[in-house]
Order: sequence, then C-alpha cells, then structure tokens
Amino acid sequence: MPPEWTRRSVVAGMAALMVPRPAFGLGSGSLFNVAELEVPGASIHRPEAWSRMLHEVIQATSIEADPAIVRVAPDDPALFEHPFAVLVGDGALPEFSDAAIRQLRNYISYGGFLLFDDASGTGRGAFAASVRRISQRIFPTRPLSPLAGDHAVYRSFFLLDRPVGRTRGTGVLEGIQLGPTTPLMMCPADLSGALDRTADGRNRTPLVGGELQRREATKLSINLVLYALTSNYKHDIAHVVELMRGGRLE
Amino acid sequence: MMQWLTGGRLSEDGVLVWSGDPAATAAAAVVCAGVLFWAVRRRGTRRVEELALWLGAMLTLLWAIADPNWAEETGREEPGISVMLVDASRSMRVSDGGRSRSEQAAAIVERFGDDATVLTFGDGLITANDGRSSAGGTDIGAALEAVADRYLGQQLASIVLVTDGIDRGGLRDAFAAGSMAVPPLPGPLTVMQVGEGAALQDDAIEAVRSGGFAFLRTPFHLDASVRGRPGARLELTLRREGRLVDTARVTLGDDGRGEVRFEVTPTEVGRFVWEVSIPVAGNDGVPGNNRFPVVVRVVRDRTRVLQVCGSPSTDQKFLRLFLKEDPSVDLVSFFILRTHQDFGAGWYPDELSLIPFPYERLFTEQLETFDVVVFQNFDYKPYFENGPDRLLGNIAEFVRNGGAFVMIGGDRSFDLGDYAGTPIDEVLPVRLGLTGVSADETGFRPALTAAGGGHPVTRIAGSPSDSEAAWEALPEQDGMNLNRGLARDSAALLTHPTLTVQGERMPVLAVREVGAGRTMALMTDASWRWSFSEAAKGRGNQSYLRFWKGALRWLVADPDDRRVVVQPSVENLLLGEALQVTARVRDAGFVPVAGARISGWVEAPDGARSPIDAITDAQGSASASVVPEQEGAHRVRIKVEDHGTAETVFSVTSRDPELAEIVPDEAFLNALADAYGDRGVYVGSDSGNAPLRDEDATRKVNESRVVALSSVPLVAVLFGAFAGLAWWVRRRNGGH
Repeated sequence: MPPEWTRRSVVAGMAALMVPRPAFGLGSGSLFNVAELEVPGASIHRPEAWSRMLHEVIQATSIEADPAIVRVAPDDPALFEHPFAVLVGDGALPEFSDAAIRQLRNYISYGGFLLFDDASGTGRGAFAASVRRISQRIFPTRPLSPLAGDHAVYRSFFLLDRPVGRTRGTGVLEGIQLGPTTPLMMCPADLSGALDRTADGRNRTPLVGGELQRREATKLSINLVLYALTSNYKHDIAHVVELMRGGRLE
Repeated sequence: MMQWLTGGRLSEDGVLVWSGDPAATAAAAVVCAGVLFWAVRRRGTRRVEELALWLGAMLTLLWAIADPNWAEETGREEPGISVMLVDASRSMRVSDGGRSRSEQAAAIVERFGDDATVLTFGDGLITANDGRSSAGGTDIGAALEAVADRYLGQQLASIVLVTDGIDRGGLRDAFAAGSMAVPPLPGPLTVMQVGEGAALQDDAIEAVRSGGFAFLRTPFHLDASVRGRPGARLELTLRREGRLVDTARVTLGDDGRGEVRFEVTPTEVGRFVWEVSIPVAGNDGVPGNNRFPVVVRVVRDRTRVLQVCGSPSTDQKFLRLFLKEDPSVDLVSFFILRTHQDFGAGWYPDELSLIPFPYERLFTEQLETFDVVVFQNFDYKPYFENGPDRLLGNIAEFVRNGGAFVMIGGDRSFDLGDYAGTPIDEVLPVRLGLTGVSADETGFRPALTAAGGGHPVTRIAGSPSDSEAAWEALPEQDGMNLNRGLARDSAALLTHPTLTVQGERMPVLAVREVGAGRTMALMTDASWRWSFSEAAKGRGNQSYLRFWKGALRWLVADPDDRRVVVQPSVENLLLGEALQVTARVRDAGFVPVAGARISGWVEAPDGARSPIDAITDAQGSASASVVPEQEGAHRVRIKVEDHGTAETVFSVTSRDPELAEIVPDEAFLNALADAYGDRGVYVGSDSGNAPLRDEDATRKVNESRVVALSSVPLVAVLFGAFAGLAWWVRRRNGGH
C-alpha cells in the first residue's frame, strides 16, 4: 500500500533533492518567449516589462524561457515563431489590414495566445474600443467577454481573484473563448506598466498600492504565461478536487 | 383383320397429334412432287390412272413421314389414401417414459401405418422414413403445407401427425399470439402426441444476452434466462475461461422461468469466453443445455491517456490541445509547474494553486486504468524518491501487459533524464547510455524511412510517396536527444538526415512492440512546429493531427491490429463443426511477412493441445483447419520466430437449439387440431384411438393410350398397293 502523501511530505521530499540541474533546451524551440506586436504610432514598446515577467517565470516555475523580447508586425509570418504575443497601447489603434486580421485569426485558432494590455489602465478608453473592434473582425461571432471569477487564468499558478497592474479595481480580464480555451485576452489594468523597469533595473512607475500591488501584478503575469501554456489544465477534475480538499477552493 | 390393320379401336375422345419433323415432312413433299412430275411427263394412254395411283402412293408416304398419333386420356377413381407425418427432429431423441420419442412414434406407425404412406419431417418434408430421427429443427406448418402441395387435387382418407409439438417454424408462435390460421389440408387431421411432459425434468440456461461486445473498464451485463421446475431455486455460476467470476441464485416463477443479471467490468481488450452454468441434476433430460458460453469482444470506447510533463512548454501545450479536443481521448495531465529549484523565488505556498504530484498513486494503483502513458520532457529523479526503480518497473510491466508508453524529447528526457539502465530503458525503442553530449541543438528536417512510409504512425498522406512528400514539406525541428540506435524489435520511422549511429541514420522517431504493449520514442521537443508553422503557411495543421492521431491509434491498437494476429473464423461453434484459424504476420514496419513459420497450439479445456504448424503466404497470412472435440473455451496461441506471439479464444458448445426446450407442447397440439374444426382431432399416443378418417375420400387415377397411326400395317399395305399398281400401269402403257 503506497504511503498517503501530503503536501508537506512532497515539499520535504523535493527539498531533499536540491541538486542543481542545468537548464537548457533542445534549441530555441523549447524555450518560451514573448513577441511584442508592433503597430507604428499606436503600440507601446515595453520589452523590459515582459523580460521581467519572463525572469519571474524562470524563477518561480519550471518553465524554461528566453527573456529576449522580439517585435513583429501583426501581418509578419515570423509571428508563428512565438506562440505568446502581446500588444500594449493607450489610445486608438489603426485599422488592421485584412492580411493582418487573417493571420491573427490563424495564429489564435491554431494555438497562439494574444494579450492586449490597456496601458491607460481603465479598460474603457480608445484602446479598449479598438481591441473590441479588432477582436470582432478576427472572430465576428465571438465577442470579447468578461472572464468568470473561476476562470483557469486566475488559478493557473497563483490563486487570484482579479486583475491587478499599474491600476487596480478598474475591471476584469476579458477574453474570447475558443472551445475549452481563451486564447485572446485583454487586461484593463496596465499590467506591463506595473512590471516595466528602467535600464538600470529600477521600477519605472511607482504604484498606489506599493510593492504589494506590484507583487500581485507579477503574479498575474506569471498566471498568464502558465495559462497560455496549460490552458484549462487547472480545471481538470484532479486539480479541482485536490484544491478543494486543501481548503483553498470552494 | 381390320383391327390389326388399323392398330385397334380408336376412341372418339382422342386427339390427333402430329409428331413428325416438319422439315423432314416438307422435304418429303418436294420429293413426292418430283415423282408426280416425272409420272405426268409420260406419253401414251392411261396417264390419268397412273397419275392417280402415284398420287395415292405419295400421300401414303407423306402420312407415314408426318407421324400422326392418336392420343386418348382415360382415368378411374379409387378410395383416398392415408398419410402419416412423423416428426424426425432432434427433440425426438429425448427419452421420457423409458423410451425415446422416436421409438414411441415408430410404435404408432406400426399400429396405424399399414395402409398409409409414411413421411417424415423436420424443417421441411422428408419423403423417406428410415426410422431414425435425423432432421434438424421442427416446422409443423411447413410439413402440413408440403403434404397439401404433394397431394394437390386429391382427397386423403386421413392425415396423422405424430410429433412432440415443439414447433420452431412459427406456427406455434402464431398460435400463442392468437392466430388460428392453418394450412388447408386435403383430408382430416389426427394429431398424435409423443412424449410426456410430466415425466421430464430439464433445467436449462435458455439464453445469455451480452450484446457481443463491451467497453474496457466499463461495466456490462450478462443477462441469463433460466428455465426449470416452477418454484425451483437454482444457483448460477459465471466463469471467464474456466475461472470463477461470480455466482447468483434465482427462484423460478410459476411459469418455471427466471432471469439473472451478472455485472462484469472487463479490464483487458480482446475476445473472452464467459460461461453461465447451473448444476446438472441426476434426472436432467438434457444436461447439454445447463451451460451457455458466449464470446464477448472487449473494445475501448475512449483512450485514456496520462500526460506527464516536466516543464510546461509550447510542445506540451500543443499536444495537450490535441488530446483535449479529441473526443475519443480521456486525458489526465500532470505538469510539473515548480521544481525544488524554484522554491526560493519568494512565494508563499498558500498563494499557489499547486497540488502535489501524486506519482505514487499514479504509477501503482492507477496505472492500469490508463491505455497510454506519455512522459513529455519529464525527469523522474526529483520526484520518484520512494523507489524509482519500482515505479519505473511498474510502467515497464504495464507496457509488457498491453499498455503503451511514449517518451517525448527535451532537456529532461532520455539520457538527459537519466533513464539509461532503468526499467524504462528496457522497453524504449532506442538504446540509451550515451556518455558525454546527449543532445544536438542544430536544426534539422527528419527523413522518412522505408518502414515509416507505410507505418500507420507516419503515414500522414494517402500513399507512402505522398507521405514522404508531406514529411519533406514540414518545418525543421530545433534539435534532438541523441541515442545509441534502435533497440531490439524496433523500427525507425523518422531518422536524422546526417547524424549516424553504428553506420545507420540516427532514429528520431522509433516504435517498438514489447510483450503485449507498444512504445514510441520521439527524440525532439518541437513537434508543435508541424502544427503552428504549417498554419502560418495557410496549410492548417492536418499533418500534426494525422501524425498524433495515427500514433495514438497504433499505440492502443486492439489485439486484432498487432504485428502478429490470430483470429478464429467463428467465435461460437457447435461440437463437431470445423473452424479456420488464420494468422497474420507483419514486421516492425507493418509490412506483411511471407514465408514465416507459425507454430502453436489449440488448447482444449482439459489442457489437451492440438499443434498448429504453417507457413505464411505472400500476404503474410496462413490458415489451419481445426475440428474441436470438446465443449468449452478453447485458447489458440501461436508464436512466430522473431516477430512475436498472439492468442485468441473461441467457444465450443454441444448446445442444440432444438433441444433448448424439450417438454412436449400438448396445448399447442390440441389447438392445432381444434383449428381444423370437425376435420381435426387430438389423441394421445397411448389412447389407442384410430385416426379420424374420411371414408368418402377419393382420388382419380389417370391413364393414357397413344396409337401411332404412321406405323399401323394399313399404311404399308396402301403404299405397296398404290406404288405397285402405278408401276404396273406405266409399264403396260409404254412407260419406262
């Protein structure tokens, strides 16, 4: 009869095996990375924010990532080299070409993940309106909708209850559902604003909630990466039952 | 004298029938015309008289050639005959009251059959009565119809039906349903029953309903219908190929019938014999119907996959999406989201939604519930702290017992995961144990091998050449785990274009059959590019889907889709019947193997073995004929040198459907007689009452007479007279 294990015993067992293992992949394909969508005159370039997110992912999770951020245009086929893409903005976006819309539809339909980050921090401004318009062109029959409080993105690594970025309490994550996954999301709280750093490593923007708020933003960013890779894994029955057994989920 | 000349007296009711060949008659007419022309050309006196005589001779000749016949039909009436219809079905072999029913029937025939035509019947009418019960089933309606047809237009003095009344042709069922329609008969019917129901005990399993197939790990029902003495309490036993599975008790109802349901949860895929039986009492009339074997084929409804990944990655994401969206897959995923190296990142455990990795439970008690286990860039050492060899050994044993295992590349896989020398190493299709560099990070495009062209895993297009073209069009992989070449009994489906090992291209994708299970090794961690990069080109992700669908299908293949397969031509047969056992042999690349020697045996329930020895033909097939000599579950096991083994089962029974019910049906026979009103009567076999007769019944005996008018003596006399006189007149008057 196998021993009944507990979280404590597993953690203890893992801790006993603190043998460092060199992390490397089989070439670039095995490393997780981020592509920033570049829309001239409209998108905001914040590579340090995403690089910080990936550093946090490397530190906190088992994911092997490449913190070097690349920039690609929405209609550039190179986008398919990077299954995780972000687009940051605080104002209206120009109309995307039909080729760009077609490519984004293919990208999201076949396994890519696209995050729109509203740098205005409101979720109600011109950027959000542009995102809704673009989303409707990509998937005319699937509107951008608020994600439920028990969505897997809120428990993919950390247990969260709302999106926190440079701002907080401004809204909820919204997304487009394709089957069991949500491969397109919009964050209303300027997530990259909370993570962004200067070249010398200091936080670019002070937050109202201080470092506690930045910590929550970091947790959201890690959850987004984990969700992009594992989708609804945390909704698998085994995980739900285990979390409920531990009293961490009702 | 005149009677002799004309062939006798001719009746006025006759008809003239011309039987000569029309062509011959026409030719003769032409010749006769020529003779007359020759006669009329003579010069001199009495030409008219000569011509008349020649005309008479020619007409007489034409009459003879035309061959007229005088046909006369006559008939006479005689008293109608009696017919005895004797049941010769197998149920007449049953003994009750000290004699078999066929012996009782023979006694009735002896008593009443002196002046009767005796016919036997089973499924239909059998004309000869050889005194034995040799027919198959019982179809009383068909037998009565056959008598009516046989004596169409006649009246019979009596028809005696001698039977036990266990009709299986439909007439009895129709009566039970309320119909009283019976075939019209040419005479009065006397029904004589043989067999006494009261003297008989027969407990029987009438039927076992299973549906024929069941789903793996899903309960299914075996419903048994039991018959016996009303109120009797019977114990039923369920066995699977001789091994006790379950028992149940049933109390029969007032109608002597009962139903029992067994619930069974199959744990293996394949064909299996389940047998329901009841004890045989000393006075049981038919012991053979106290057991009822059925072969049930167990199949998968959904493929249960365990995906274990050591590090979330794009490759893991795409495989999960594929598995999750396939409705035929029941997926359980476990991803290592955090390792011991990540514990110092400053996050509190209560902030996390992580659960412990239940490796102990997964790879011990729950392992058998999966069909496929996938290790995707998973290193076991940090987690399997409690007996890693035991847990990996469980997986290897799981494979040998019929499970499937896949290892996908990455920096935690194969030699990078320290699997060399472990039980997993023993079942992988590639050899591990490299020292030094264990991975190559150079991009490459895998090449399809000859075996891969036709293999179900890598056949991603219609033909091998199309598959090769499709693989060549797919994007490059980023790198691969190195290996020491193929393991024994393995096949490389994709190889590296330049890297070699022991003179061969290094395997990138390899497969292997191990015991009853299968393994697959994919040495890269970027198969996702076959999906995503293809989508970038607007070509969709069909190649990726076909590859993984093909892989899953092959990995969990049923026993009928393995390299070595043996199948019986029938799964349930009667004792004494022959069946064909066919074996099919394919190599690791699924190419038919010709000339392979197949050896093995058919094992009877008592352990006696009949050897099988055959050589495969060009299609990789070989057959052997088997005539089982025992009842019960038979197991066939074959071995093909260098290719593997296979086995199957079939069930042999002496159950005879005709003997499933043997109690005479007196009520039906009474109803049958009543259906004919005053021209039908039921009498018991021992009553001594003579059969019902119709003394006025008659039958017409037909006779016919044909007189050949061309061959009567008068024709020859006339021809001689006419021709002789004509010649005489001609010679006397100057003719030649």
